[in-house]
Amino acid sequence: MKKPVVVVLALLVLSGCGARPATPAVDSSAAAAVPRPLNVQDPAQAPSPPATPPPACDPRASLRPPASLPAPGRMPAGTAMARIAERGRLIVGIDQNAYLTSYRDPVTGQVVGFEIDLAREIARALLGNPDAIQWRAITTADRIPVLQRREVDMVIRTMTATCERMQQVAFSTEYLTSGQRLLVNRGSGIKDFPDLAGRKVCATRGSTSIVTIMNQPSKPVPVATDSTLDCLVMLQQGQVDAVSTIDVLLLGLAAQDPGTEVVGARISDEPSGVAMPLDTPELVRFVNGVLERIRADGTWTAIYSRWFAAYGPVPAAPPAKYRD
Amino acid sequence: MILAIAWRRLIRRAATSPGRLTTLTAVVVVLGLAFGLAGVLTVRAGVGLVRDVTDRSGPLSLQAQDIYQSLSDADATAASAFLANGVEPAQLRKRYLDDIARASSALTVALRGAEGRSAAALGVLVRQIPVYTGLVESARTYNRQGVPLGGAYLREASALMRQIILPAAQQLFEAETARLAGAQRAVARWPWTVTLLGLLLLGALLLTQWYVTRLTNRRLNRGLVLATLAALIASGWLAVASGGAAGHVGAGRDGGSEQVALLAEARITALQARADEGLTLIARGDGKAFEQDFTVMMERLAGKDGKGGLLQRAHQEAPDGAARAAVQDAQRHAADWLAIHRKVRDLDDGSQHAEAVRLATDGAASAASAAGRLDAALAEGIAVGGRRFDREAGSAGDALGGADVAVALLALAVAAAAAYGLNQRIAEYR
Repeated sequence: MKKPVVVVLALLVLSGCGARPATPAVDSSAAAAVPRPLNVQDPAQAPSPPATPPPACDPRASLRPPASLPAPGRMPAGTAMARIAERGRLIVGIDQNAYLTSYRDPVTGQVVGFEIDLAREIARALLGNPDAIQWRAITTADRIPVLQRREVDMVIRTMTATCERMQQVAFSTEYLTSGQRLLVNRGSGIKDFPDLAGRKVCATRGSTSIVTIMNQPSKPVPVATDSTLDCLVMLQQGQVDAVSTIDVLLLGLAAQDPGTEVVGARISDEPSGVAMPLDTPELVRFVNGVLERIRADGTWTAIYSRWFAAYGPVPAAPPAKYRD
Repeated sequence: MILAIAWRRLIRRAATSPGRLTTLTAVVVVLGLAFGLAGVLTVRAGVGLVRDVTDRSGPLSLQAQDIYQSLSDADATAASAFLANGVEPAQLRKRYLDDIARASSALTVALRGAEGRSAAALGVLVRQIPVYTGLVESARTYNRQGVPLGGAYLREASALMRQIILPAAQQLFEAETARLAGAQRAVARWPWTVTLLGLLLLGALLLTQWYVTRLTNRRLNRGLVLATLAALIASGWLAVASGGAAGHVGAGRDGGSEQVALLAEARITALQARADEGLTLIARGDGKAFEQDFTVMMERLAGKDGKGGLLQRAHQEAPDGAARAAVQDAQRHAADWLAIHRKVRDLDDGSQHAEAVRLATDGAASAASAAGRLDAALAEGIAVGGRRFDREAGSAGDALGGADVAVALLALAVAAAAAYGLNQRIAEYR
């Protein structure tokens, strides 16, 4: 009768069995998680070159304004201006992330900046009301598509006039002169582009800046983002070694972070113009008329000083050039 | 040589009547003990599965939802604080911090029980949430300095939340829900091994009784009768306990956990729509993709006309009045929200951005408030379903309670009684 006793013991042991928790091992391979802004391209893809090279041109030359501008609210019938007046507001494609140039003030929630003031002057001349504007925030890459889709009347977003872009959109005369430079962390030892061989340099997707970075003989690695501000985030987080775009935008970045500085020589010449659809030359002439006036009456200098005087000398307004 | 002789002697003895009786005794005793062992194992497995359902997968899938909801709300709240202009309102700051605290404590609890896919998802959450909060604090600091860099940090934080953290929380929820459903199916499965052994045992007992009756001309062997009775009781006990547990777990699934899973999915969908609404406003004209996503989410939630989608399914499958009432509340709030959202879009598209932001975020008539009421209604529905589920799971545990000990003792009784009864007959041959 020994067997049943063993079986009884076995049964009782089994009925008392429970799961024993395992001791977890420490994951020694855990590495820092590095967050990324939305839509980063690393390395950036080169934009496809145009099928046919654009004809030689002077990107600064635009259409001559009429001798005198129509009074606000009395736009000639059938013009693009009359259509805007009928709508009652001007729709402008802007940046909301470029400090000093064009940005959303987090304290008031309003978009403000040099280009915003410029747009308000155009609205004042066209509609008699500088506030009659619908702001439409767009990315660098969307500047031409929103104009082609007629979602905005004009784009004022540090858009460099180039012969290639002039095939797709019309530019006003130059309202801001700038050139591409570098923004680096203070003490990084980077002085100019030759120091950036094989290192990451950030600019916005669809900008002229990204192409210029790719063409540098030192062969830096271009990284593209939706906004120049995202480049500063990545510079602060050590994900890129430098930001490279036009100096007026770099100034806005450096103003937000005293740990960075603008260095290097201007490696490009970039005239910014107001971009408009190709088929409304009357609107281009009108905008050029407004620009002509604010250059002459000191408004341009007042606006520029208001935003940039604290950061350097105030230049003279860029002169207008006309092709006819 | 000795072995061969012993073997031959055994064969010869087995061919005699007492030999056959001895063999039958051995068979009945072994079958009885095997039946007992299988029965105990079956009950123990059932108890383990029910415990898995009640203590692990059930609570874990609820915690996964809590984590998702808290994190999603934290992200939406951070965005609202950003949209609010100037210094962020104190109550939004508190809400954000509470959300993070709630998510973190749910995480610590969830970490204790998780394994496999859930553990991997939890690992992502544990590593990324501190990174997220760091980005939000950077955004806050720059925002207070009046520079737009804060907005860039907030966008980066939100991208991390939406692309990595929330998908991991959803994965955790889905893994635990699948585990729960698997455990429920396993409990509901009929224990075939033990059923087969029980039938074999009863067959062997009857066969032995017939043989003994033929051999000795006595009607019934008392030991065998007792053994048969014990075997019948054990089988019945097992059938009632297993069937009861399966029934309760099934009721908990149909009326509880399935409803909870449906409402949880609805809740996650609504939270995604809420985030889309905020992001559309922050994008300021550049948020078409977010608005499209909002439309997709709302259709998934309530259908094209507000009378379909996940909520309608939850309404149809609601097990009782309380659950149905919670779903109806949710449907009403979803319709309210959609109506307010359309007004917000009209304002924003008509260049009244500031007014659109106010209507979206500020006060009791705002879109955020309607979305909050929708979330509360869904949370109530989930709580109702969860309570029902817990009740049924508790009953399933009770049904199995004590069955293992009873079956073990009865199986021993079968073996002992049969051995005793047959030994008396064998003794008559000595």
